Amino acid sequence: MIKRNQPVLLERVNKMRQATNVGEYQEYQGFSGLLKAIEMDKEAILDELDLAHLRGRGGAAFPLGKKWRHLYGAKGDTKYIVCNADEGEPGTFKDKVLLKHDPLSVIEGMVIAGYLFSAKAGYIYMRGEYLGIQKIFQEALDNAEKAGFLGENILGIPGFNYNITIISGAGAYVCGENSALLNSIEGKTGRPRVKPPHLADVGLYLQPTLVNNVESFAGIPVILREGGQAYRDLGTEDGGGTKLICLSGHIKNRGLYEVNLGTSLQDILYSEEYGGGTSTGRPLKFIHFGGQSGPIGAVQNLEDCIYSYEGLWDKDLSIGSGAIVVMDDQVSIVDYLVQVAAFFAHESCGKCTPCRLGTTRILELLTKFNNQTAVVGDLERLEKMLMHVTNLSACGLGQSVANPMKSGLAYFPEEFEAGIREAVTPVKGGLW
Amino acid sequence: MSSLSLSEKEAIILANDSDPQRILNMLIAIQYGSEEGYIDEATAQLVGDHLHLSQARVYEILSFYAILKTEPQAKYVLKICNSTPCLFTGGTMLAEVLETILEVPADEPTPDGLFMYHSIPCIGACDKGPVIKIKDTVFADLTEAKVYQLIDDLQRGCYQEL
Repeated sequence: MIKRNQPVLLERVNKMRQATNVGEYQEYQGFSGLLKAIEMDKEAILDELDLAHLRGRGGAAFPLGKKWRHLYGAKGDTKYIVCNADEGEPGTFKDKVLLKHDPLSVIEGMVIAGYLFSAKAGYIYMRGEYLGIQKIFQEALDNAEKAGFLGENILGIPGFNYNITIISGAGAYVCGENSALLNSIEGKTGRPRVKPPHLADVGLYLQPTLVNNVESFAGIPVILREGGQAYRDLGTEDGGGTKLICLSGHIKNRGLYEVNLGTSLQDILYSEEYGGGTSTGRPLKFIHFGGQSGPIGAVQNLEDCIYSYEGLWDKDLSIGSGAIVVMDDQVSIVDYLVQVAAFFAHESCGKCTPCRLGTTRILELLTKFNNQTAVVGDLERLEKMLMHVTNLSACGLGQSVANPMKSGLAYFPEEFEAGIREAVTPVKGGLW
Repeated sequence: MSSLSLSEKEAIILANDSDPQRILNMLIAIQYGSEEGYIDEATAQLVGDHLHLSQARVYEILSFYAILKTEPQAKYVLKICNSTPCLFTGGTMLAEVLETILEVPADEPTPDGLFMYHSIPCIGACDKGPVIKIKDTVFADLTEAKVYQLIDDLQRGCYQEL
Protein backbone atom coordinates (compact mmCIF):
# COMPACT_ATOMS: atom_id res chain seq x y z
CA MET A 1 0.00 0.00 0.00
CA ILE A 2 1.29 3.43 -0.85
CA LYS A 3 -0.02 6.50 0.88
CA ARG A 4 0.14 10.18 0.10
CA ASN A 5 3.20 12.01 1.34
CA GLN A 6 5.27 8.89 1.08
CA PRO A 7 8.28 8.99 -1.23
CA VAL A 8 7.70 6.67 -4.16
CA LEU A 9 10.50 7.49 -6.60
CA LEU A 10 13.00 8.56 -3.95
CA GLU A 11 12.10 5.78 -1.53
CA ARG A 12 15.18 3.70 -2.25
CA VAL A 13 17.46 6.65 -2.95
CA ASN A 14 17.81 7.37 0.73
CA LYS A 15 18.04 3.76 1.83
CA MET A 16 20.16 1.72 -0.53
CA ARG A 17 23.80 1.35 0.35
CA GLN A 18 24.81 0.29 -3.15
CA ALA A 19 22.53 1.61 -5.85
CA THR A 20 23.54 -0.94 -8.48
CA ASN A 21 23.01 -4.03 -6.29
CA VAL A 22 20.12 -6.10 -7.64
CA GLY A 23 19.60 -8.06 -4.41
CA GLU A 24 19.33 -4.90 -2.39
CA TYR A 25 17.02 -3.36 -5.00
CA GLN A 26 14.72 -6.37 -4.65
CA GLU A 27 14.65 -5.97 -0.87
CA TYR A 28 12.85 -2.69 -1.54
CA GLN A 29 10.28 -4.18 -3.92
CA GLY A 30 12.57 -3.87 -6.92
CA PHE A 31 11.55 -5.80 -10.04
CA SER A 32 8.15 -6.66 -8.52
CA GLY A 33 6.56 -4.35 -11.10
CA LEU A 34 8.17 -6.35 -13.89
CA LEU A 35 7.21 -9.67 -12.29
CA LYS A 36 3.63 -8.48 -12.12
CA ALA A 37 3.70 -7.24 -15.72
CA ILE A 38 4.75 -10.59 -17.18
CA GLU A 39 1.78 -12.25 -15.46
CA MET A 40 -0.60 -9.74 -17.01
CA ASP A 41 -2.31 -9.56 -20.35
CA LYS A 42 -0.65 -6.83 -22.45
CA GLU A 43 -3.91 -4.94 -22.88
CA ALA A 44 -4.31 -5.01 -19.11
CA ILE A 45 -0.89 -3.39 -18.70
CA LEU A 46 -1.98 -0.57 -21.02
CA ASP A 47 -5.23 -0.22 -19.04
CA GLU A 48 -3.30 0.22 -15.79
CA LEU A 49 -1.12 2.91 -17.40
CA ASP A 50 -4.20 4.77 -18.64
CA LEU A 51 -5.78 4.51 -15.21
CA ALA A 52 -2.62 5.83 -13.52
CA HIS A 53 -2.73 8.96 -15.68
CA LEU A 54 1.03 9.48 -15.57
CA ARG A 55 1.95 12.46 -17.68
CA GLY A 56 5.37 12.47 -19.33
CA ARG A 57 7.85 13.89 -16.86
CA GLY A 58 10.31 15.29 -19.37
CA GLY A 59 8.31 18.46 -19.71
CA ALA A 60 5.68 18.02 -22.39
CA ALA A 61 3.23 16.36 -19.97
CA PHE A 62 1.66 14.15 -22.65
CA PRO A 63 -0.32 11.26 -21.11
CA LEU A 64 2.05 8.31 -21.05
CA GLY A 65 -0.73 5.75 -21.47
CA LYS A 66 -1.75 7.31 -24.79
CA LYS A 67 1.83 7.37 -26.04
CA TRP A 68 2.34 3.72 -25.14
CA ARG A 69 -0.96 2.75 -26.75
CA HIS A 70 0.09 4.53 -29.94
CA LEU A 71 3.32 2.55 -30.09
CA TYR A 72 1.46 -0.67 -29.22
CA GLY A 73 -0.75 -0.12 -32.25
CA ALA A 74 2.13 0.92 -34.54
CA LYS A 75 2.98 -1.48 -37.34
CA GLY A 76 6.46 -2.97 -37.34
CA ASP A 77 8.32 -6.03 -36.13
CA THR A 78 11.20 -4.02 -34.69
CA LYS A 79 10.31 -1.50 -32.04
CA TYR A 80 12.84 0.50 -30.06
CA ILE A 81 12.68 1.74 -26.49
CA VAL A 82 14.60 4.93 -25.77
CA CYS A 83 15.10 6.64 -22.43
CA ASN A 84 15.75 10.36 -22.69
CA ALA A 85 18.38 11.06 -20.03
CA ASP A 86 19.71 14.18 -21.72
CA GLU A 87 18.66 16.33 -18.80
CA GLY A 88 19.90 19.71 -20.00
CA GLU A 89 17.14 22.03 -18.87
CA PRO A 90 18.77 24.61 -16.57
CA GLY A 91 17.28 24.34 -13.10
CA THR A 92 16.73 20.61 -13.47
CA PHE A 93 18.80 17.91 -11.81
CA LYS A 94 16.20 15.31 -10.90
CA ASP A 95 17.08 12.61 -13.43
CA LYS A 96 20.68 12.76 -12.25
CA VAL A 97 19.59 11.58 -8.81
CA LEU A 98 17.58 8.63 -10.15
CA LEU A 99 20.30 7.61 -12.61
CA LYS A 100 22.93 7.72 -9.92
CA HIS A 101 21.10 6.48 -6.85
CA ASP A 102 18.36 4.24 -8.24
CA PRO A 103 19.40 3.21 -11.77
CA LEU A 104 17.66 -0.16 -11.51
CA SER A 105 14.25 1.51 -11.25
CA VAL A 106 14.85 3.17 -14.63
CA ILE A 107 16.09 -0.13 -16.04
CA GLU A 108 13.01 -1.93 -14.67
CA GLY A 109 10.71 0.58 -16.37
CA MET A 110 12.58 0.13 -19.64
CA VAL A 111 12.44 -3.67 -19.36
CA ILE A 112 8.67 -3.53 -18.82
CA ALA A 113 8.43 -1.47 -22.01
CA GLY A 114 10.69 -3.98 -23.76
CA TYR A 115 8.38 -6.79 -22.70
CA LEU A 116 5.17 -5.01 -23.67
CA PHE A 117 6.39 -4.02 -27.13
CA SER A 118 8.49 -7.16 -27.77
CA ALA A 119 11.48 -4.88 -28.32
CA LYS A 120 14.97 -6.28 -28.61
CA ALA A 121 16.93 -3.11 -28.09
CA GLY A 122 16.64 -0.30 -25.61
CA TYR A 123 18.80 2.81 -25.50
CA ILE A 124 19.46 5.31 -22.78
CA TYR A 125 20.83 8.59 -24.10
CA MET A 126 22.64 10.25 -21.23
CA ARG A 127 24.08 13.73 -21.35
CA GLY A 128 27.84 14.06 -21.69
CA GLU A 129 28.01 16.08 -18.48
CA TYR A 130 27.05 12.94 -16.53
CA LEU A 131 30.04 10.79 -17.50
CA GLY A 132 30.57 9.46 -13.98
CA ILE A 133 26.92 8.44 -13.79
CA GLN A 134 27.20 6.62 -17.12
CA LYS A 135 29.71 4.30 -15.41
CA ILE A 136 27.35 3.68 -12.49
CA PHE A 137 24.48 3.01 -14.86
CA GLN A 138 26.58 0.56 -16.88
CA GLU A 139 27.37 -1.30 -13.66
CA ALA A 140 23.63 -1.49 -12.91
CA LEU A 141 22.99 -2.82 -16.43
CA ASP A 142 25.71 -5.47 -16.02
CA ASN A 143 24.30 -6.52 -12.65
CA ALA A 144 20.76 -6.70 -14.01
CA GLU A 145 21.97 -8.89 -16.86
CA LYS A 146 23.82 -11.21 -14.47
CA ALA A 147 20.64 -11.54 -12.44
CA GLY A 148 18.64 -12.46 -15.54
CA PHE A 149 16.64 -9.25 -15.95
CA LEU A 150 18.37 -8.35 -19.23
CA GLY A 151 19.85 -10.44 -22.02
CA GLU A 152 18.47 -13.67 -23.47
CA ASN A 153 15.26 -15.36 -22.30
CA ILE A 154 14.67 -12.90 -19.50
CA LEU A 155 12.99 -14.49 -16.46
CA GLY A 156 13.00 -17.76 -18.33
CA ILE A 157 10.53 -16.54 -20.92
CA PRO A 158 11.57 -17.93 -24.31
CA GLY A 159 12.17 -15.19 -26.85
CA PHE A 160 12.16 -12.38 -24.28
CA ASN A 161 15.55 -11.04 -25.40
CA TYR A 162 16.28 -7.45 -24.56
CA ASN A 163 19.34 -5.32 -23.97
CA ILE A 164 19.97 -1.69 -23.10
CA THR A 165 22.87 0.38 -24.49
CA ILE A 166 24.13 3.65 -23.06
CA ILE A 167 24.71 6.36 -25.63
CA SER A 168 26.54 9.45 -24.45
CA GLY A 169 25.55 12.95 -25.44
CA ALA A 170 28.28 15.55 -25.88
CA GLY A 171 26.81 18.87 -24.89
CA ALA A 172 23.81 19.89 -26.97
CA TYR A 173 20.59 21.03 -25.29
CA VAL A 174 18.63 20.41 -28.48
CA CYS A 175 19.31 16.67 -28.15
CA GLY A 176 16.71 16.66 -25.38
CA GLU A 177 14.21 17.04 -28.22
CA ASN A 178 13.20 13.49 -29.00
CA SER A 179 13.82 13.40 -32.75
CA ALA A 180 17.18 15.17 -32.37
CA LEU A 181 18.03 12.63 -29.73
CA LEU A 182 17.29 9.76 -32.11
CA ASN A 183 19.49 11.33 -34.78
CA SER A 184 22.27 11.60 -32.24
CA ILE A 185 21.90 7.91 -31.32
CA GLU A 186 22.26 7.09 -35.02
CA GLY A 187 25.70 8.74 -34.92
CA LYS A 188 24.56 11.91 -36.65
CA THR A 189 24.47 15.50 -35.52
CA GLY A 190 21.61 16.04 -33.13
CA ARG A 191 19.32 18.21 -35.21
CA PRO A 192 15.56 17.67 -34.93
CA ARG A 193 13.57 15.95 -37.65
CA VAL A 194 10.57 17.35 -39.39
CA LYS A 195 7.40 15.96 -37.82
CA PRO A 196 5.07 14.29 -38.64
CA PRO A 197 5.61 11.35 -38.95
CA HIS A 198 5.27 10.64 -35.26
CA LEU A 199 8.25 8.86 -33.68
CA ALA A 200 5.93 6.08 -32.57
CA ASP A 201 5.51 5.27 -36.26
CA VAL A 202 8.85 6.33 -37.76
CA GLY A 203 11.53 6.69 -35.11
CA LEU A 204 15.00 5.29 -34.54
CA TYR A 205 16.34 3.80 -37.80
CA LEU A 206 12.87 4.58 -39.19
CA GLN A 207 11.24 1.98 -36.90
CA PRO A 208 8.45 2.60 -34.37
CA THR A 209 10.09 4.04 -31.27
CA LEU A 210 9.06 4.94 -27.74
CA VAL A 211 10.88 7.85 -26.14
CA ASN A 212 10.22 8.64 -22.49
CA ASN A 213 11.99 10.57 -19.76
CA VAL A 214 13.99 8.96 -16.93
CA GLU A 215 11.42 9.93 -14.30
CA SER A 216 8.58 8.55 -16.43
CA PHE A 217 10.31 5.17 -16.76
CA ALA A 218 11.02 5.10 -13.02
CA GLY A 219 7.29 5.53 -12.37
CA ILE A 220 6.22 2.53 -14.48
CA PRO A 221 7.24 -0.20 -11.98
CA VAL A 222 5.34 1.65 -9.24
CA ILE A 223 2.18 1.74 -11.34
CA LEU A 224 2.29 -1.98 -12.09
CA ARG A 225 3.25 -2.93 -8.56
CA GLU A 226 0.65 -0.81 -6.79
CA GLY A 227 -2.01 -0.58 -9.49
CA GLY A 228 -3.00 2.33 -11.69
CA GLN A 229 -5.66 3.67 -9.34
CA ALA A 230 -3.32 3.76 -6.32
CA TYR A 231 -0.79 5.68 -8.40
CA ARG A 232 -3.38 8.09 -9.67
CA ASP A 233 -4.57 8.75 -6.11
CA LEU A 234 -1.11 10.14 -5.27
CA GLY A 235 -1.77 13.04 -7.61
CA THR A 236 -4.76 14.99 -8.82
CA GLU A 237 -7.49 14.67 -11.42
CA ASP A 238 -5.35 15.89 -14.31
CA GLY A 239 -2.20 13.98 -13.50
CA GLY A 240 -1.47 11.03 -11.23
CA GLY A 241 1.54 10.26 -9.09
CA THR A 242 4.23 12.26 -7.40
CA LYS A 243 6.60 14.72 -9.04
CA LEU A 244 10.27 15.29 -8.49
CA ILE A 245 10.89 19.00 -8.10
CA CYS A 246 14.22 20.82 -8.20
CA LEU A 247 14.42 23.93 -6.05
CA SER A 248 17.18 26.39 -6.84
CA GLY A 249 17.95 30.10 -6.89
CA HIS A 250 17.37 32.37 -3.90
CA ILE A 251 15.72 29.76 -1.74
CA LYS A 252 17.12 28.47 1.52
CA ASN A 253 16.89 24.70 1.09
CA ARG A 254 17.98 24.18 -2.50
CA GLY A 255 17.70 20.60 -3.68
CA LEU A 256 15.56 17.78 -4.97
CA TYR A 257 12.21 16.89 -3.40
CA GLU A 258 9.38 14.52 -4.20
CA VAL A 259 5.93 16.01 -3.75
CA ASN A 260 2.44 14.76 -4.43
CA LEU A 261 0.88 16.60 -7.33
CA GLY A 262 -1.60 18.84 -5.54
CA THR A 263 0.76 20.19 -2.87
CA SER A 264 0.42 23.92 -2.18
CA LEU A 265 3.09 26.06 -3.80
CA GLN A 266 3.35 28.13 -0.63
CA ASP A 267 4.35 24.96 1.22
CA ILE A 268 6.97 24.18 -1.40
CA LEU A 269 8.44 27.67 -1.16
CA TYR A 270 8.20 28.47 2.50
CA SER A 271 7.80 25.36 4.69
CA GLU A 272 10.96 24.04 6.33
CA GLU A 273 10.20 20.62 4.87
CA TYR A 274 10.87 22.01 1.40
CA GLY A 275 12.20 25.41 0.35
CA GLY A 276 12.30 27.16 3.72
CA GLY A 277 11.80 30.63 2.23
CA THR A 278 14.29 33.13 0.95
CA SER A 279 18.03 32.54 1.21
CA THR A 280 19.03 36.16 0.83
CA GLY A 281 16.76 37.77 3.41
CA ARG A 282 15.03 39.62 0.58
CA PRO A 283 11.43 38.95 -0.44
CA LEU A 284 10.94 36.51 -3.30
CA LYS A 285 9.89 38.09 -6.59
CA PHE A 286 9.34 35.57 -9.34
CA ILE A 287 9.55 31.88 -10.09
CA HIS A 288 10.70 30.28 -13.32
CA PHE A 289 8.93 26.94 -13.72
CA GLY A 290 10.06 23.92 -15.69
CA GLY A 291 13.43 25.11 -16.98
CA GLN A 292 14.51 27.86 -19.36
CA SER A 293 11.69 27.06 -21.78
CA GLY A 294 9.04 27.32 -19.07
CA PRO A 295 6.86 30.25 -18.03
CA ILE A 296 7.57 32.70 -15.21
CA GLY A 297 5.13 33.56 -12.42
CA ALA A 298 5.17 36.51 -10.02
CA VAL A 299 5.28 35.25 -6.43
CA GLN A 300 2.62 37.74 -5.27
CA ASN A 301 0.09 36.26 -7.71
CA LEU A 302 0.69 32.69 -6.60
CA GLU A 303 -0.52 32.67 -3.01
CA ASP A 304 -3.36 30.27 -3.73
CA CYS A 305 -1.50 28.19 -6.28
CA ILE A 306 -1.60 24.41 -6.14
CA TYR A 307 1.37 22.59 -7.63
CA SER A 308 -0.39 20.27 -10.05
CA TYR A 309 -0.85 20.24 -13.81
CA GLU A 310 -4.25 21.93 -13.68
CA GLY A 311 -3.24 24.18 -10.77
CA LEU A 312 -0.42 25.68 -12.80
CA TRP A 313 -2.35 25.74 -16.07
CA ASP A 314 -4.97 27.88 -14.29
CA LYS A 315 -2.23 30.46 -13.78
CA ASP A 316 -0.84 30.15 -17.32
CA LEU A 317 2.11 28.25 -15.92
CA SER A 318 3.31 24.69 -16.35
CA ILE A 319 5.23 22.03 -14.48
CA GLY A 320 7.63 21.27 -17.31
CA SER A 321 10.62 19.31 -16.10
CA GLY A 322 9.92 20.11 -12.45
CA ALA A 323 12.45 22.93 -12.14
CA ILE A 324 11.46 25.70 -9.72
CA VAL A 325 13.97 28.52 -9.96
CA VAL A 326 13.18 31.26 -7.44
CA MET A 327 14.55 34.79 -7.66
CA ASP A 328 14.42 37.58 -5.07
CA ASP A 329 13.39 41.20 -5.57
CA GLN A 330 16.90 42.35 -6.43
CA VAL A 331 16.86 40.52 -9.74
CA SER A 332 15.64 42.54 -12.71
CA ILE A 333 13.34 40.52 -14.93
CA VAL A 334 14.95 42.02 -18.03
CA ASP A 335 18.44 41.08 -16.85
CA TYR A 336 17.17 37.59 -16.07
CA LEU A 337 15.55 37.19 -19.49
CA VAL A 338 18.70 38.36 -21.27
CA GLN A 339 20.47 35.36 -19.78
CA VAL A 340 17.60 33.07 -20.80
CA ALA A 341 17.72 34.46 -24.34
CA ALA A 342 21.50 34.00 -24.45
CA PHE A 343 20.96 30.37 -23.54
CA PHE A 344 18.56 29.81 -26.44
CA ALA A 345 20.72 31.71 -28.93
CA HIS A 346 23.65 29.51 -27.89
CA GLU A 347 21.68 26.26 -28.03
CA SER A 348 19.67 26.76 -31.21
CA CYS A 349 20.85 24.01 -33.53
CA GLY A 350 20.71 26.30 -36.55
CA LYS A 351 18.69 23.99 -38.75
CA CYS A 352 15.67 26.26 -39.15
CA THR A 353 16.00 29.96 -39.81
CA PRO A 354 13.25 31.30 -37.51
CA CYS A 355 15.00 29.81 -34.49
CA ARG A 356 18.58 30.42 -35.62
CA LEU A 357 18.10 34.09 -36.41
CA GLY A 358 15.09 34.69 -34.17
CA THR A 359 16.82 33.70 -30.95
CA THR A 360 19.71 36.03 -31.81
CA ARG A 361 17.38 38.94 -32.58
CA ILE A 362 15.46 38.35 -29.34
CA LEU A 363 18.72 38.40 -27.41
CA GLU A 364 19.75 41.67 -29.09
CA LEU A 365 16.41 43.30 -28.38
CA LEU A 366 16.36 42.24 -24.74
CA THR A 367 19.93 43.46 -24.33
CA LYS A 368 18.81 46.88 -25.58
CA PHE A 369 16.13 47.00 -22.90
CA ASN A 370 18.67 45.91 -20.33
CA ASN A 371 21.14 48.61 -21.38
CA GLN A 372 18.35 51.18 -21.46
CA THR A 373 19.00 51.82 -25.11
CA ALA A 374 15.71 50.46 -26.43
CA VAL A 375 13.67 52.87 -28.53
CA VAL A 376 9.94 53.41 -28.88
CA GLY A 377 8.60 50.53 -30.95
CA ASP A 378 11.08 47.97 -29.63
CA LEU A 379 8.50 46.50 -27.29
CA GLU A 380 6.18 45.83 -30.21
CA ARG A 381 9.12 44.46 -32.21
CA LEU A 382 9.97 42.12 -29.37
CA GLU A 383 6.39 40.86 -29.12
CA LYS A 384 6.18 40.30 -32.84
CA MET A 385 9.54 38.54 -32.87
CA LEU A 386 8.42 36.24 -30.07
CA MET A 387 5.27 35.36 -31.99
CA HIS A 388 7.23 34.62 -35.16
CA VAL A 389 9.80 32.42 -33.48
CA THR A 390 7.07 30.50 -31.64
CA ASN A 391 4.92 29.90 -34.70
CA LEU A 392 7.57 29.30 -37.34
CA SER A 393 10.23 27.25 -35.59
CA ALA A 394 10.44 23.57 -36.50
CA CYS A 395 10.88 22.05 -33.05
CA GLY A 396 10.12 22.54 -29.40
CA LEU A 397 13.27 24.56 -28.76
CA GLY A 398 12.26 27.52 -30.89
CA GLN A 399 8.58 27.05 -30.15
CA SER A 400 9.09 27.53 -26.43
CA VAL A 401 11.60 30.40 -26.39
CA ALA A 402 8.76 32.89 -25.93
CA ASN A 403 7.27 31.22 -22.83
CA PRO A 404 9.47 32.93 -20.25
CA MET A 405 9.63 36.19 -22.23
CA LYS A 406 5.88 36.58 -22.62
CA SER A 407 5.12 35.92 -18.96
CA GLY A 408 7.94 38.25 -17.93
CA LEU A 409 6.43 40.96 -20.13
CA ALA A 410 2.95 40.33 -18.74
CA TYR A 411 3.91 40.55 -15.06
CA PHE A 412 6.61 43.20 -15.09
CA PRO A 413 5.90 45.52 -18.07
CA GLU A 414 7.24 48.54 -16.19
CA GLU A 415 10.74 47.05 -16.11
CA PHE A 416 10.76 46.80 -19.87
CA GLU A 417 9.34 50.30 -20.28
CA ALA A 418 12.13 51.61 -18.06
CA GLY A 419 14.60 50.34 -20.64
CA ILE A 420 13.21 52.57 -23.39
CA ARG A 421 15.20 55.73 -23.98
CA GLU A 422 12.44 58.32 -24.15
CA ALA A 423 14.58 60.99 -25.78
CA VAL A 424 14.78 59.18 -29.09
CA THR A 425 12.44 60.16 -31.91
CA PRO A 426 9.91 57.39 -32.48
CA VAL A 427 10.73 55.08 -35.39
CA LYS A 428 7.98 55.16 -37.97
CA GLY A 429 6.73 51.98 -39.61
CA GLY A 430 9.19 49.22 -40.36
CA LEU A 431 7.84 46.69 -37.93
CA TRP A 432 8.90 43.18 -38.79
CA MET B 1 49.07 12.78 -17.86
CA SER B 2 50.43 12.17 -21.32
CA SER B 3 48.51 11.89 -24.53
CA LEU B 4 47.07 8.57 -25.57
CA SER B 5 49.08 6.30 -27.85
CA LEU B 6 47.62 5.01 -31.09
CA SER B 7 46.93 1.61 -29.53
CA GLU B 8 45.20 3.22 -26.53
CA LYS B 9 42.94 5.19 -28.85
CA GLU B 10 42.19 2.03 -30.82
CA ALA B 11 41.41 0.22 -27.57
CA ILE B 12 38.79 2.88 -26.74
CA ILE B 13 37.22 2.49 -30.18
CA LEU B 14 37.16 -1.30 -29.84
CA ALA B 15 35.75 -1.08 -26.30
CA ASN B 16 32.81 0.67 -27.96
CA ASP B 17 32.58 -2.13 -30.57
CA SER B 18 33.61 0.31 -33.35
CA ASP B 19 29.89 1.09 -33.30
CA PRO B 20 28.92 4.37 -35.00
CA GLN B 21 26.08 4.66 -32.49
CA ARG B 22 28.67 5.20 -29.79
CA ILE B 23 30.88 7.67 -31.63
CA LEU B 24 30.28 10.33 -28.97
CA ASN B 25 31.25 7.91 -26.17
CA MET B 26 34.54 7.23 -28.01
CA LEU B 27 35.37 10.82 -28.88
CA ILE B 28 34.77 12.02 -25.32
CA ALA B 29 36.87 9.19 -23.85
CA ILE B 30 39.74 9.92 -26.25
CA GLN B 31 39.55 13.66 -25.71
CA TYR B 32 39.46 13.42 -21.90
CA GLY B 33 42.35 10.96 -22.04
CA SER B 34 44.62 13.35 -23.89
CA GLU B 35 46.64 16.09 -22.28
CA GLU B 36 45.83 18.62 -24.99
CA GLY B 37 42.13 17.97 -24.52
CA TYR B 38 41.08 17.91 -28.16
CA ILE B 39 40.60 15.61 -31.13
CA ASP B 40 43.34 16.22 -33.64
CA GLU B 41 43.06 15.51 -37.35
CA ALA B 42 44.87 12.18 -37.18
CA THR B 43 42.53 11.00 -34.40
CA ALA B 44 39.46 12.13 -36.32
CA GLN B 45 40.77 10.15 -39.29
CA LEU B 46 41.42 7.12 -37.07
CA VAL B 47 37.88 7.16 -35.67
CA GLY B 48 36.45 7.68 -39.17
CA ASP B 49 38.41 4.74 -40.57
CA HIS B 50 37.28 2.36 -37.84
CA LEU B 51 33.66 3.44 -38.13
CA HIS B 52 33.63 3.68 -41.93
CA LEU B 53 32.79 7.36 -41.77
CA SER B 54 34.34 10.11 -43.83
CA GLN B 55 36.51 12.62 -42.03
CA ALA B 56 33.96 15.28 -42.94
CA ARG B 57 31.27 13.34 -41.04
CA VAL B 58 33.51 13.10 -37.99
CA TYR B 59 34.22 16.83 -38.14
CA GLU B 60 30.53 17.57 -38.54
CA ILE B 61 30.04 15.85 -35.21
CA LEU B 62 33.10 17.44 -33.59
CA SER B 63 31.88 20.91 -34.50
CA PHE B 64 28.25 20.33 -33.46
CA TYR B 65 28.69 19.10 -29.89
CA ALA B 66 29.96 21.61 -27.33
CA ILE B 67 32.01 19.19 -25.25
CA LEU B 68 34.13 18.12 -28.21
CA LYS B 69 37.06 20.33 -29.19
CA THR B 70 39.17 20.59 -32.35
CA GLU B 71 41.83 22.90 -30.94
CA PRO B 72 44.32 22.30 -28.10
CA GLN B 73 42.95 23.31 -24.70
CA ALA B 74 44.65 24.52 -21.54
CA LYS B 75 45.51 21.82 -19.03
CA TYR B 76 42.70 22.90 -16.72
CA VAL B 77 39.65 24.30 -18.47
CA LEU B 78 37.48 25.89 -15.79
CA LYS B 79 33.86 25.86 -16.90
CA ILE B 80 31.49 28.28 -15.23
CA CYS B 81 27.76 27.63 -15.49
CA ASN B 82 26.05 30.73 -16.87
CA SER B 83 22.46 29.50 -16.73
CA THR B 84 20.17 31.58 -14.58
CA PRO B 85 20.03 29.46 -11.37
CA CYS B 86 23.83 29.52 -11.08
CA LEU B 87 24.45 32.95 -12.55
CA PHE B 88 22.12 34.73 -10.15
CA THR B 89 23.44 32.90 -7.10
CA GLY B 90 27.02 34.07 -7.41
CA GLY B 91 28.02 32.97 -10.90
CA THR B 92 29.06 36.41 -12.04
CA MET B 93 31.54 36.54 -9.16
CA LEU B 94 33.39 33.52 -10.56
CA ALA B 95 34.30 35.11 -13.87
CA GLU B 96 35.45 38.28 -12.12
CA VAL B 97 37.59 36.42 -9.60
CA LEU B 98 39.12 34.17 -12.25
CA GLU B 99 40.01 37.17 -14.39
CA THR B 100 41.70 38.75 -11.37
CA ILE B 101 43.67 35.65 -10.44
CA LEU B 102 44.60 34.42 -13.90
CA GLU B 103 44.95 37.85 -15.54
CA VAL B 104 43.46 36.67 -18.83
CA PRO B 105 40.00 37.21 -20.30
CA ALA B 106 37.59 34.31 -20.83
CA ASP B 107 38.45 31.78 -23.54
CA GLU B 108 42.15 32.69 -23.49
CA PRO B 109 44.73 30.33 -22.00
CA THR B 110 47.19 31.63 -19.41
CA PRO B 111 50.71 32.07 -20.83
CA ASP B 112 51.90 28.90 -19.08
CA GLY B 113 49.10 26.93 -20.77
CA LEU B 114 47.80 25.75 -17.42
CA PHE B 115 44.42 27.49 -17.18
CA MET B 116 41.54 28.71 -19.27
CA TYR B 117 38.00 29.59 -18.20
CA HIS B 118 34.76 30.09 -20.00
CA SER B 119 31.02 29.91 -19.51
CA ILE B 120 28.93 26.92 -20.44
CA PRO B 121 25.19 26.23 -20.04
CA CYS B 122 23.74 24.01 -17.33
CA ILE B 123 25.77 21.17 -15.87
CA GLY B 124 22.97 19.85 -13.67
CA ALA B 125 24.28 21.16 -10.36
CA CYS B 126 21.80 24.04 -10.02
CA ASP B 127 21.31 23.43 -6.29
CA LYS B 128 25.02 23.87 -5.60
CA GLY B 129 25.78 27.06 -7.48
CA PRO B 130 28.04 28.83 -8.07
CA VAL B 131 30.04 25.97 -9.57
CA ILE B 132 33.17 25.38 -11.61
CA LYS B 133 33.51 22.20 -13.59
CA ILE B 134 36.82 20.73 -14.70
CA LYS B 135 36.40 17.69 -16.95
CA ASP B 136 33.85 15.56 -15.03
CA THR B 137 34.52 17.06 -11.60
CA VAL B 138 32.25 19.73 -10.14
CA PHE B 139 33.49 22.17 -7.49
CA ALA B 140 30.33 23.42 -5.81
CA ASP B 141 29.07 26.16 -3.46
CA LEU B 142 32.07 28.32 -4.31
CA THR B 143 33.05 31.53 -2.59
CA GLU B 144 35.81 33.93 -3.57
CA ALA B 145 38.15 32.36 -1.03
CA LYS B 146 37.39 28.87 -2.30
CA VAL B 147 38.22 29.87 -5.89
CA TYR B 148 41.63 31.20 -4.77
CA GLN B 149 42.17 27.93 -2.92
CA LEU B 150 41.13 25.86 -5.93
CA ILE B 151 43.55 27.62 -8.29
CA ASP B 152 46.30 27.28 -5.72
CA ASP B 153 45.59 23.56 -5.30
CA LEU B 154 45.57 23.01 -9.06
CA GLN B 155 48.90 24.83 -9.43
CA ARG B 156 50.39 22.62 -6.74
CA GLY B 157 49.17 19.52 -8.59
CA CYS B 158 46.66 18.44 -5.93
CA TYR B 159 44.20 17.03 -8.43
CA GLN B 160 46.23 14.43 -10.29
CA GLU B 161 43.14 12.84 -11.81
CA LEU B 162 42.11 15.97 -13.68
